[in-house]
Amino acid sequence: MDRLKLLDQYNSAADIWDEMYDKQQIRDHYSKVFTSLEQFDVSALQQKDRLAGELFMNQGITFTVYSDDAGIERIFPFDIIPRIITGKEWEHIELGIKQRLKALNMFLKDIYNDQQILKDKVVPASLVASCPHYTRDVFGIKVPHDIYVHISGIDLIRGEDGLFYVLEDNLRTPSGVSYMLENREVTKRIFPELLAANHVRRVSNYPLLLHEILLQMAPTQLSNPTVVLLTPGIYNSAYYEHTFLARQMGITLVEGRDLVVDHHKVYMKTTDGLEQVHVIYRRIDDEFLDPLLFRPDSALGVPGLMNAYRKGNVAIINAMGNGVADDKAVYAYVPAMIKYYLNEEPILPNVPTYELHDASVRKYVFDNIEKMVIKQTNQSGGYGMIMGNKVSAEDWEKAKVAIEADPRSFIAQPIIKLSTVPCFIDGTFQARHVDLRPYALCGPQGVQIVPGGLTRVALRKDSLIVNSSQGGGSKDTWVID
Amino acid sequence: MLSRIADSLFWLARYMERAEGLLRVTSTHYILSLDKDVNGPLTWKPVLETFTSCTDAEMDAIAHNTGDALKKLLTDNTNHNSLKVIITKARENARGIQDYITKEVWEEVNSFYHLIHQPSLDKRLSNYEAADILDLFTRHSVLYTGITDITMARGIGWGFMNLGKYIERCLETIVLTNKQYQRINYRMDEIKDIMLWRHLLMSLSGYELHLKTYRSSLYNHDVLHQVSFNEDFPHSVVYSLGRIDRHLQDVTRKNSSEDMAALMRCFGRLFSKVKNTDLDVLNNDNLQQYLEDLRNDLLYFTTLLSQKFFSYA
Repeated sequence: MDRLKLLDQYNSAADIWDEMYDKQQIRDHYSKVFTSLEQFDVSALQQKDRLAGELFMNQGITFTVYSDDAGIERIFPFDIIPRIITGKEWEHIELGIKQRLKALNMFLKDIYNDQQILKDKVVPASLVASCPHYTRDVFGIKVPHDIYVHISGIDLIRGEDGLFYVLEDNLRTPSGVSYMLENREVTKRIFPELLAANHVRRVSNYPLLLHEILLQMAPTQLSNPTVVLLTPGIYNSAYYEHTFLARQMGITLVEGRDLVVDHHKVYMKTTDGLEQVHVIYRRIDDEFLDPLLFRPDSALGVPGLMNAYRKGNVAIINAMGNGVADDKAVYAYVPAMIKYYLNEEPILPNVPTYELHDASVRKYVFDNIEKMVIKQTNQSGGYGMIMGNKVSAEDWEKAKVAIEADPRSFIAQPIIKLSTVPCFIDGTFQARHVDLRPYALCGPQGVQIVPGGLTRVALRKDSLIVNSSQGGGSKDTWVID
Repeated sequence: MLSRIADSLFWLARYMERAEGLLRVTSTHYILSLDKDVNGPLTWKPVLETFTSCTDAEMDAIAHNTGDALKKLLTDNTNHNSLKVIITKARENARGIQDYITKEVWEEVNSFYHLIHQPSLDKRLSNYEAADILDLFTRHSVLYTGITDITMARGIGWGFMNLGKYIERCLETIVLTNKQYQRINYRMDEIKDIMLWRHLLMSLSGYELHLKTYRSSLYNHDVLHQVSFNEDFPHSVVYSLGRIDRHLQDVTRKNSSEDMAALMRCFGRLFSKVKNTDLDVLNNDNLQQYLEDLRNDLLYFTTLLSQKFFSYA
């Protein structure tokens, strides 16, 4: 029997928070899983790993890599060892996210209506005015129940001190929720005994909660409003998720070409003629939604959609113009928004963020660059990032010129060593860095968050970048009591 | 139902039916190719003519090489009608309507797709493993049919799927029949060996039914009767048209426009032509014309159908 001693090759570093091992012993909430994992031999775990891969492949949970003329289907890497969070930690996260979303929704309403927060100089007006995602076209539009952010995927990280920090808010079209749900289904197949023994809280009701919120957003009182999910189509990397959610909610999955606007109302083209659409859960970015207003070359959207939205004949979820609150420089003001709108202290802290328009701050950042990460304010997905401890001297010189030329488009944050968890890699257990993306839903009854989320893991050794576009994978995430 | 979804359901069903047909013809031909044919060494030419757009030179080069012919028919990316291309297209259609079809149907189409994209297939096809592979594919094909039947909801979408399926099946029967009669120059009056008809009948899964049903030795007549007019034979023209008739009524029930009435009339003309033709009338001189007219009428009806229901882009 080739049994693994879990800790034999486990390489969690001294200055990093490890979710399982506190440098002396296994943390309590991991103990059951730890003991069970030690019972398996390597080949049994490899067998489970293979089975998980096949399950993803056969369900078509894949993306296509094009090389030569043949498309090759790949699955998003999945690590079989679950990441575990205690019920107590979860309560804290939940409270923090609820507070944050409440403030962010109020901010978006304010910024597209009275702009009180700018007048009171809590957030500099120049910051908002210079944000490319501030959408003047939606100024003054009333949205149902004053909700702008219905669906968010707030990225949390855990620092060396064991505290959770908010890294990004993702208030536009966050993806990955299908992986949260599918990861759990796959775990049910490969570790049924572990799941049963640990009393893991349920996540599977997410689509039902979402569906309920979508129905409540219908602009007029209808007993049976038509809700659709608008996808860019089968070539989009998140297409699987769009079909998954549409199927789970029983709503129609439409593409831009299926919709048409007539007299400021949105219709879909059916075999029985046109049928009015009341709610659109869109998975297309703002700038592609209406070619008449934004990008005229885009065929993904629906001409005239914006007019129907402005007239209140259709609800768009998430609301248009949310990008302004996703801007990485605006992000720095979220704690101030919480204080301003709610008169509360933030429960979940931000990662310290340096705005670079101030020359003295810029100098401080440049002097300490080996401890900093520079990010472009309007980028996501791990693009446009400069890790100060890895960047070459030449690239850094170029970056400095770019920052000096347009400091508004960059921010700096101290490099935070994300916490690590055990992963099953090449037949051994190894520590890898992770973040956590819980999915929060905001409806007329308040914010609901299914207990769990997507744990993204940087599968490359020592890498801190968890994005799937940059070699990241994911894990099932358990909240246990 | 969205026109785009109706369109994709229609084509998913057509491609899967086409795959099934291609597999049955190829399997039959492969098995028979292991015996010496009544007319000398067996050639893949008729199959290649039916299912590929090869030039004569290309065809001559591979017509006597079973491994190459199988590759051309099953796994060649440059052949627009190879099994691999057909299944890829079926999957593209299924992918765009994943929210409409059941998870089970999607997973079956998807696993079929991954199966046929295995890189080792070509080698195995040349290595006398062809029968195993053809069996495996055929099993997936019937599995798809069964899964579709027991999991898909009945309703308008089901109607479009069946329209696609039976239009494809009907076309296939007409084309294969035409091909076979062409080989004997449409000579209805000559008595021929049943062995000659075995290929067609087995390709349409109708050999056993033929032996049980027809007692005379007028094979040329009997086979034509079976593939055209036998209402109990699920691959016959009249059976397929009967199904199309039924599903056409399902999808047009809610829609009473003049367009729909015109579509129904177009199909009615075609259907009654088959129902009201006497077998005895068909002879050496008019059989080819009859089969070709039938095919053209069906294609015209299909064009009309897609204009009425699938215009969205």
